[in-house]
Amino acid sequence: MGIGLYGLLITRNLIKLVIVLQVLVKMALLALVAAGHATGQVNLGQSLAVTVLVADTVVAVIGLALAVQVRQRLGTLDVTQLSELRK
Amino acid sequence: MTYPTFIWLIGILLLASPVIYLVGRITRREDSSAPAARWLALAAVVSAWVPYILALQETSATLTFGAVALTMDGLSLLLAGLALGLGTLVVLYSMRYMEEDEGEEKYYAMLVAMIGVMIGLGTATDIFNLWVWFEAMAVTSYLLVAFYRNQGLSLEAGVKYLVQSAAGSMLVLVGVALVLMQTGTLNIAEVRALAAPTPGFIVAGALFIIGFGVKVAVVPMHTWLPDAHSQAPTGISAMLSGVVIEAGLIALLRALSALVAVSASWGVLLMAFGALNMFAGNLLALRQTQVKRMLAYSSLTHVGYMLLGLGIGISTGVAAGLEGSMFHLLNHGLMKGLAFLAAGTLLWVLHAAGTDHDALLISDLSGAGRRYPIVALTLSLAVLALGGLPPLAGFMSKWQIFVAGFQTGDALIMATVVFAGLMSVLSLGYYAPLVNTLYRKVPSSIVARGPEIPVLMQVPLAIMALAVLAIGLWPTLLTWLAAPAADALLAAFGG
Amino acid sequence: MVSWLILLVIGLPWLGAAAAFFIRDAQPRVLNTLAVVVSAVSAACAVALLPFATSEVALSLPVGGIFGNFTFVPDGMAVVLAIIATVIGSLAVIFSINYMEGETQLGRYYALVLLFIGAMCGLVLTSSLLLLFFFWEITALCSYALIAFENDNPKAVEGGLKALIITQFGGVGLLGGALIAYSALGTYDIPVFLAQAQTLAPGLLAVMAFGFLAAAAAKSAQLPFHTWLPSAMEAPTPISALIHAATMVNAGVYLLARFYPAFEAVPGWTTAVVIVGALTALLAAIMAIVSNDLKEVLAYSTVSQLGYMVYGIGVGGVLAAQFHLLSHAVFKALLFLGAGAVIHAIGTRDIRKMGGLGKEMPLVRTVFIIGALALAGIPPIFNGFWSKDMILEAGAVGGPTWAYVVMLVVAGLTALYSFRMVWTVFYGERRSTTHVHDAPTAMRVALIPLALGTVTTWLLIGPFGRLYGETLPTHHLHIVDLGEMAAGALAQIAIVLPVIALGLLAFWFRDRLSGITRNLGWLAALARADFGFELANRAIVGATRGAASVIRGTQTGQLNWNAVGIVAGLALVLAVLALR
Repeated sequence: MGIGLYGLLITRNLIKLVIVLQVLVKMALLALVAAGHATGQVNLGQSLAVTVLVADTVVAVIGLALAVQVRQRLGTLDVTQLSELRK
Repeated sequence: MTYPTFIWLIGILLLASPVIYLVGRITRREDSSAPAARWLALAAVVSAWVPYILALQETSATLTFGAVALTMDGLSLLLAGLALGLGTLVVLYSMRYMEEDEGEEKYYAMLVAMIGVMIGLGTATDIFNLWVWFEAMAVTSYLLVAFYRNQGLSLEAGVKYLVQSAAGSMLVLVGVALVLMQTGTLNIAEVRALAAPTPGFIVAGALFIIGFGVKVAVVPMHTWLPDAHSQAPTGISAMLSGVVIEAGLIALLRALSALVAVSASWGVLLMAFGALNMFAGNLLALRQTQVKRMLAYSSLTHVGYMLLGLGIGISTGVAAGLEGSMFHLLNHGLMKGLAFLAAGTLLWVLHAAGTDHDALLISDLSGAGRRYPIVALTLSLAVLALGGLPPLAGFMSKWQIFVAGFQTGDALIMATVVFAGLMSVLSLGYYAPLVNTLYRKVPSSIVARGPEIPVLMQVPLAIMALAVLAIGLWPTLLTWLAAPAADALLAAFGG
Repeated sequence: MVSWLILLVIGLPWLGAAAAFFIRDAQPRVLNTLAVVVSAVSAACAVALLPFATSEVALSLPVGGIFGNFTFVPDGMAVVLAIIATVIGSLAVIFSINYMEGETQLGRYYALVLLFIGAMCGLVLTSSLLLLFFFWEITALCSYALIAFENDNPKAVEGGLKALIITQFGGVGLLGGALIAYSALGTYDIPVFLAQAQTLAPGLLAVMAFGFLAAAAAKSAQLPFHTWLPSAMEAPTPISALIHAATMVNAGVYLLARFYPAFEAVPGWTTAVVIVGALTALLAAIMAIVSNDLKEVLAYSTVSQLGYMVYGIGVGGVLAAQFHLLSHAVFKALLFLGAGAVIHAIGTRDIRKMGGLGKEMPLVRTVFIIGALALAGIPPIFNGFWSKDMILEAGAVGGPTWAYVVMLVVAGLTALYSFRMVWTVFYGERRSTTHVHDAPTAMRVALIPLALGTVTTWLLIGPFGRLYGETLPTHHLHIVDLGEMAAGALAQIAIVLPVIALGLLAFWFRDRLSGITRNLGWLAALARADFGFELANRAIVGATRGAASVIRGTQTGQLNWNAVGIVAGLALVLAVLALR
């Protein structure tokens, strides 16, 4: 997860950022499943995982949709270019 | 099986949302306005009041869907009241404000859904369920922040908000996993009984604070806020500052209350962040020239006051701290909501009059006092109330938090309260010039050329301004809502 | 009955304010009538309270919870100050009929004035610390809004903001003190606090005492918080007369007088009060001598006379200080309104451009001279003489000698700048060619009662003293009647009169003394620079702006940087938790 967080700090491409977020969430998801397993509630762990998967997919879709719009309107996917709003 | 009434409260709103979208889409006119969506949305929020008022009479109702239990306690009622109250006024306001914009049916669908989801958030009794509602709220808000898809700045704000918010959500999720790993349960009450000061729990607590903290705009996780709150459509700005942040705060409190036994420092951390927020928020707002951005930064400061009150209550058990904080939560929603809506009317005028710039500048407010007296008066009242001047609402809730601080008898806490008082004075340094500009004689170009402001946009302003004044003169008007919430918190944190 | 009177005194102006705000500017006559009627009725109610003055709670609005009850006690101090606020308020409103003729946004003006009058009465009548702070803040709000009334004038806006920030800053002292009292005693009730003050931990009581002193100093424009008052002269002159001479600035003195019994035993407090009062009186008098702006001279003079009152309280002469407050309110309002008439006629505030106006404005000249004589403290019929002497008497007996000497010197300086003011404006050569006329009717109606008051209020010392003595038991006031006051004054005359005479002569022979004036040029320059306090103000503002700029730099707009914030936050929290 540390690697993932580091990824958030240095990734410049918007699509890659969405992917990094996806990766991070999958790690959290794995943690949930593992937790369910460790406490003998495998079913719970799995249902939690499914819920997270659904929610996270929605977020990813929105994120990608925004990325597409950004590419269309602003012509770039480089987040360092997206700093009109500052101060 | 009898269902408690609050199921209807959440149900009406969540079911109405897709209906609004579909009907609005189907009946959309050539000019892409969707009057059906507007009216359905209004109907939805107005009818939701019925189950809410009924729910107020019931004490602690619980609803169980299989393994998931939802409870309406004092805290839930407060959040529901705030969300529904501000939400209704925003829907009313938006009916004219969003008239010219494309995608109205999406706007109202998402707005109604957001209100429903926030109320649901308040009822969660286990930390995963809490996360689900929290995530749902985030999703609805992502779409609403980036509503103006044709504007580069909106997209930019939406993107940053999404990435940061998602990162925060992810951290919360890891925290949930940690808790599950160590206790085998997700139910808040059960976790509370099992929690102990082990590293695993401590890390979970930290993750909750930071993860939810992104949404609550705790400094240094606040950087998305000025962009998102200023670029969103005005009604959404009001909701974001007025309810969404607060919902995040309540989620944080629920999660943290499960970990009371883990550390004695939660209250202190909240107070420290509170002081940081007050300081940073004021300084960031001080030199702003854009009105909505200034109001957004001011939300940071007010979150600071809430955190201070909560920290005082949690660390020392002084009930006034919790009650003052809850009172301020309500007041802030009212005052900031009013400020955004009032400023928004002038932004609407700006768009209607057509200018070379997009954002509402302070200089654009010049002369509004004569041309748009109600807007100017209500904006002045909102802003002076935010600055803590009597006889307006903000003074009373800040007073309650300050009293609580002094009641603890702790010198460091009292010094922090004095600091908070000084921060209030500092905030006048940017609120007062705004009021001055409103009453200048020379009108700005947009004020001079602008059209009449529709009555439907001014009615919510008048209602909210009267409320701000009434609460300022008779502070116990909201005790019926704030006190049970404070009691619930006190009980949750082992008071 | 009494409770209704109190409600009317506070509530009627507030209702009038709301009405005035919503009446359109197009009907100035309606506005004028409304304002005059409302303020006059409320003044009548205030006067009607006199026979009912008591130390008991007369009105209590139960609010409950942590906000206590909203209580009001019409004791002597409260009623007198309420009368001053409403009566001088009415006169200022009447004066405004002519002064503000043709101005726009008249509704807003009257709304703010009436809101202020109600709040000022509330401030003095209430016996709840919460409400005291509540009304204190409202008066600050009105003061700021009225100073900055001409929003298109940047100096006015700046003046308003300065007044707001400085008085609010001091207000934090009042806030802290009130909170200390509540958390120690569980009640906001002032009489209860005065009775039980000594049960507070000495450290806390001291913090409260000095906090209140800071708040009072800021509100009454004493050192080191005096810089806002001269900038407040951008306000319309009736406002300067009402708020910055007769009422709001007295709130600080009122605070000190009201809480004196609780704080007099705090070590160092009375000394601090004396120092603040004496130094302020001295420095402000010097600043008045070198100023060329008519309103600024009066502003500094106000600060200086307030210094007298503060000094008076510090040496234990609370009754004397209050009596001087009454005299000063009357003659200073008179002077300000008179100055207003002059400024309105000639169109400038610079006294170097005036001169010889006495011939064309005989009424104004006469009333102005009456006010100036009272200010300078000339016997025998001017109220300023009697009340100032009472303070000096108290100081001779109860205060340090150095302070007494300073106050004597200030009396001389006061005479000097009063004479200078009168002479430069009304006598000598006509330095401007603007055609002037004497005061119009409404202004006269305001000026004449004040002039009459100036020569008569000193006669009321007997009933004044009795009123205070009976209704303020905790204060242990030393009451005098007319005869005793006269005797006391005669004792002081031998010392005071020569000093005053010196002051007058110094101005008369200013040409011959020009050598000294040149040598003291450095002092004059220092005085014009506010003795460095303005620099301190600017430094603080600059530092705050600088900090704001620095922190704005953290909002880079870079998403990656923002993410750093999240990670850093997490690290911070984990670190703190690990350490505790």
